[in-house]
Amino acid sequence: MSESNSNPSSVSGPAAAPKPLVKPADLSRGDFLWAGWGMLAAFFAASAAAGARFMFPNVIYEPSQKFNAGPAVGYDLGVSTKWLNEQRVWIVRTPSGFYAMWARCTHLGCTPNWWGDQNRFQCPCHGSNYTLDGDVIAGPAPMPLWRTKVDLAPTGDLIVDKAVLENKPGKRENAPYFVSYV
Amino acid sequence: MPTLDLEKIKKEIIDSQLWRSVFRGGVWKDTPRDRAGHIIGNVWLHLHPVKLRPRALKWTYTWGMGGISFALYLLLTLTGVALMFYYRPTIGLAYRDIKDLEFAVTLGMFLRNAHRWAAQAMIIAVIAHMVRVFLTGAYKKPREFNWGIGVLLLTLTLFLSFTGYLLPWDQLAIWAVTVGTNMAGATPVLGNEGPLGALVGMRINNDVRFTLLGGTMVGENTLLRFYVMHCVAVPLLVGILLILHFWRIRKDSFSAAPYTATEEKVDVWPHLVKREYIAAAGTTLFIMIWSILQNAPLEAIANPNVTTNPSKAPWYFVGLQELLVYFDPWIAGVVMPGLIIVGLVAIPYIDTNPKGVGYYAWKERPFANTLFMLGVVMWFVLIYIGNSLRGPNYAWYWPWESWYMLKAAPAPTWSVFGPKGAGSYSMLIGIPLMGAVSAAWMLLPKLIQKELDGKKTMGAFLGLVAVFAAAGLAMGKMGAAEGGFLLFFLGASFYFGFVLPQRHIRALDWPRYLVTMILVISTMSVLLKMCARLAFNIKYVLTIPSISMNF
Amino acid sequence: MSYRKAFIVSNALMLAAFVWAFAKDFYAPWRPYQAKYYQMAADVMEKQAAVEKDPTKASNLMAEARKMRHSPMEIKQIIAVDLGRFDRCVTCHVGMDEYTNTTLKNDFTENPYKAHPKVDTALIKAHPFSKFGCTSCHSGQGLATQVEPAHGWVKHWEKPMLKGVTIQGSCVKCHDNFETLKGAEVAAAGKKLFNRHGCQGCHAINGRGGVTSVDLGDIADKPFERISGYNFMRVRIDGKELANEHHDSHWNIQNWILAHLVNDPVEVTPNDPFAHLNSEPISPSGMPDFTKEISRAEADAIVAYLSGMTKEEVIPYRYHVAAAPVKEPALSAVAHGKFVYAKYGCQGCHGLDAKQGRRRFNGSSNAQKPYDEKMSETERYEQMNIGAEPTLPDLMGTYTHEELVKKIEAGVPASDATRWSLKGPMPMVYMPAWRGKISKQELDDLATWLLSIAKKDDSGF
Repeated sequence: MSESNSNPSSVSGPAAAPKPLVKPADLSRGDFLWAGWGMLAAFFAASAAAGARFMFPNVIYEPSQKFNAGPAVGYDLGVSTKWLNEQRVWIVRTPSGFYAMWARCTHLGCTPNWWGDQNRFQCPCHGSNYTLDGDVIAGPAPMPLWRTKVDLAPTGDLIVDKAVLENKPGKRENAPYFVSYV
Repeated sequence: MPTLDLEKIKKEIIDSQLWRSVFRGGVWKDTPRDRAGHIIGNVWLHLHPVKLRPRALKWTYTWGMGGISFALYLLLTLTGVALMFYYRPTIGLAYRDIKDLEFAVTLGMFLRNAHRWAAQAMIIAVIAHMVRVFLTGAYKKPREFNWGIGVLLLTLTLFLSFTGYLLPWDQLAIWAVTVGTNMAGATPVLGNEGPLGALVGMRINNDVRFTLLGGTMVGENTLLRFYVMHCVAVPLLVGILLILHFWRIRKDSFSAAPYTATEEKVDVWPHLVKREYIAAAGTTLFIMIWSILQNAPLEAIANPNVTTNPSKAPWYFVGLQELLVYFDPWIAGVVMPGLIIVGLVAIPYIDTNPKGVGYYAWKERPFANTLFMLGVVMWFVLIYIGNSLRGPNYAWYWPWESWYMLKAAPAPTWSVFGPKGAGSYSMLIGIPLMGAVSAAWMLLPKLIQKELDGKKTMGAFLGLVAVFAAAGLAMGKMGAAEGGFLLFFLGASFYFGFVLPQRHIRALDWPRYLVTMILVISTMSVLLKMCARLAFNIKYVLTIPSISMNF
Repeated sequence: MSYRKAFIVSNALMLAAFVWAFAKDFYAPWRPYQAKYYQMAADVMEKQAAVEKDPTKASNLMAEARKMRHSPMEIKQIIAVDLGRFDRCVTCHVGMDEYTNTTLKNDFTENPYKAHPKVDTALIKAHPFSKFGCTSCHSGQGLATQVEPAHGWVKHWEKPMLKGVTIQGSCVKCHDNFETLKGAEVAAAGKKLFNRHGCQGCHAINGRGGVTSVDLGDIADKPFERISGYNFMRVRIDGKELANEHHDSHWNIQNWILAHLVNDPVEVTPNDPFAHLNSEPISPSGMPDFTKEISRAEADAIVAYLSGMTKEEVIPYRYHVAAAPVKEPALSAVAHGKFVYAKYGCQGCHGLDAKQGRRRFNGSSNAQKPYDEKMSETERYEQMNIGAEPTLPDLMGTYTHEELVKKIEAGVPASDATRWSLKGPMPMVYMPAWRGKISKQELDDLATWLLSIAKKDDSGF
């Protein structure tokens, strides 16, 4: 846009004929500005929204949440820490069956340790204590440990799925968070 | 034999076209015009005014902490850029690169140490700067906005440290960041574990924590994200805010005290500039010597399956970690830091006391100074507890107790009001009761119009607590230690939360009064909750688990 | 002090501090070792040149010596790509660097100057340094260039350098055939001892064996954080109490294993049997005391064997060597039963050849006095401490063949085990269920053998 257009009263050149001081339409300059600001704001808002969306990855390279925990017959009564290192899960065998607990403190996500001699899980980060059932008995944790889905495959293997979690008493004692096994 | 005429050579150099093209101004004559020209003609010094009032030069007034903070920021930028040449932010390489810096890069260990120690020194310097500005009332009109920027800068300084300590990919890094980002996961509404989060559809793979981590756990994406935030995004933001901060300092005429006619301004060059130089040089020297003598810690390589025991944040966040013991993650990790930041920003707008601007005035602003310093002291006491009194399993260990003697498992905790099985109405009692107590505490100091006698009120209150404690003692419900706890914590809360407000701020208008009381009561509730947990094993005073509301 | 003076002083100090920092960095600990090696090697060459008759050879040697004397000071490293090793050990141990010391031999006797011993053996020839690095076998911190960090004697380095015979554990990492391997005799002996004393009865290795205690298949990776609590201070090795600080060079997994073999494990992890600390009594380690059976040298062999039990290291498959299949001897039913008893580690609890049940804390035994409330704590502790696993010949007479097979298949949970004090600590050592782990034939023969050794009283029962 040249300067002469933006200022109708000025003269663009010596040969130019004087232009009438009437605007082409009835739209005032203020209205145009309003639309301009509006579109700029919309552009910024859309960019911000897209920027926020950009921060959510669509694919992540994390291992599958499901794993085969081996033959059920290989577990004895009590807490097994066999899968703690690889899968962060405790397999617990009770006289009536199996459940699996995600070894993640419900407070802020540290890994508690199983103290078999005290019959508790104790978290080293903020001192939460859990019972064998996963219930909080001391410390700041707001809720019981999560139990994961467990299945007994036809081969006799335990299949643990960490993507499906439950910790409410009453629900967690039933399938799919518990498999009967004697 | 011709003698070497240094003066002549100097003149020739300065008069050369090359010199003239680079530096403005002629030969230095130390006239007022020259001094002004030094400031005006230099892009770096131009953030200063030409002249300023002599009080702004006094070390006892400024403590030099603002300048030292900035010097540390520059040091951190320089050392940080140097470190970036040898560091690759991927899980397989990050830890090895840090080991390389320690063992195989020329001055690598020194630079890493300097970066680490300068970061910690900067946190101390920034806090000291804030305390100084508060005590001299330098946040009052027209500097409210700049104080707010300062608070943001303090927050960003802490955030820079937080993002920085993931980068070595050691055990400290991964667990501190796991804890830190899970606090984000406990944000109300936006976090999947926070109150109302599940209701609006927050899951582990779409909430605010997921954005921070770039995944559902601390991993490759997290390292890269924190790297970009630490090295690019946050420093840029800090730089922008710093420019704003400095520009406002200059526009608001440096020192806050009202101008007196007898005061004569002095030249910034050399009076302020030489002080700034000495502060910066001293800081650099201090960091250098510290870095030579003490190596920055580096723990074992990060292992997502093994949490160190005890697992602690770096000291400046240990206070927050200690708070996390007493409160729900979303309260201690989101609401409280948020309240601290918002409360600090709000201070200039609620403190209408016109006195005490530009000088230390404990007697003229007893309420503001007492409460602010109480907050600062509490923060450092919490840091001390978390850092020195917490041992394996985060149990309480006195300094004289060995960590090698395992402590008894903590006693089971209980909640005063909350669901305790079917048919329990304790929640229905608890909610109105808590509401009534809070409302009464909130309103009473203002509603009692006559100033109470501090000593008598305190005496009466402590007597009441003592009677209560004695009754508990007699009934065998508490021991002498618990009674002492009760007396101390209730007494302190009553003094700071009732007696002082009643005496000093009941004249405030309602909005300012209410905001002040919210901040005061929040601070006191920390004390009360600590007492409840440490002495009586109370987990929550009121808990409504269905919506994760626990107090 | 005037600002002018402060300006001069602060700048002088900054310069001094910089020089200090740079000097500290420049005069790194490896530098004098490397310099001394070059001089020593050059001296040797010059001496050779002096006695050399052939003038061409002599002048060549002198030139070599001059070159050696002026070799550049540098951080040397071996990069073993396949195994992910970056080992800077040769920065100080220059005699073991094949680029500086091409023959890999010298006459120096002192570390770090001396050459690697036995470089001519098939063992070293099969493991060239350029392909395996140093830490693949020796452990330690290959990236470090200072004495203590490099050997791993520092806090936060979990794999310190292996000492003495424990290095044979590294053979086990790749060589499944280590039992027949020359040079891995100690580790092989360790495995034999491990099985002979029945360790596998409680500690499975990679899922093979009992589940009463932890699987030792990845014991060498056990993080220090998981080395049960903070109990290292109770550990005595060779009569010396080990310090409990992490960074102490004693604090490593080898000593942790050793501690269980040369101490009574009850003292290694004593815990709290009388509930002084807790509301519930805590049982001490249930592991029996092996100190009388296993000598110090034997314990070292077991440690060497277990040092190779790692899962953490990613070793390409082509580095692995398979074991030859093991043939079990053909035996009569009774003899085979005895063999099975040893194969599955029953002797870990029930004693060698089932002669005498081992100690089980708070278990019952004939030697105990009856439980009495009034006993002092020391006395009670002693009584708990002489609790024992069943001595099988005493009991076998009460079982039929079928009952016995069933019992072994089902095991005995800790809650069912007879306890001396019902208020005493739990859980105790228990018998795991062997169902599915022992084949039917083996089980039958085992029962046959056990019944054959049952004690008969006068009536012949």
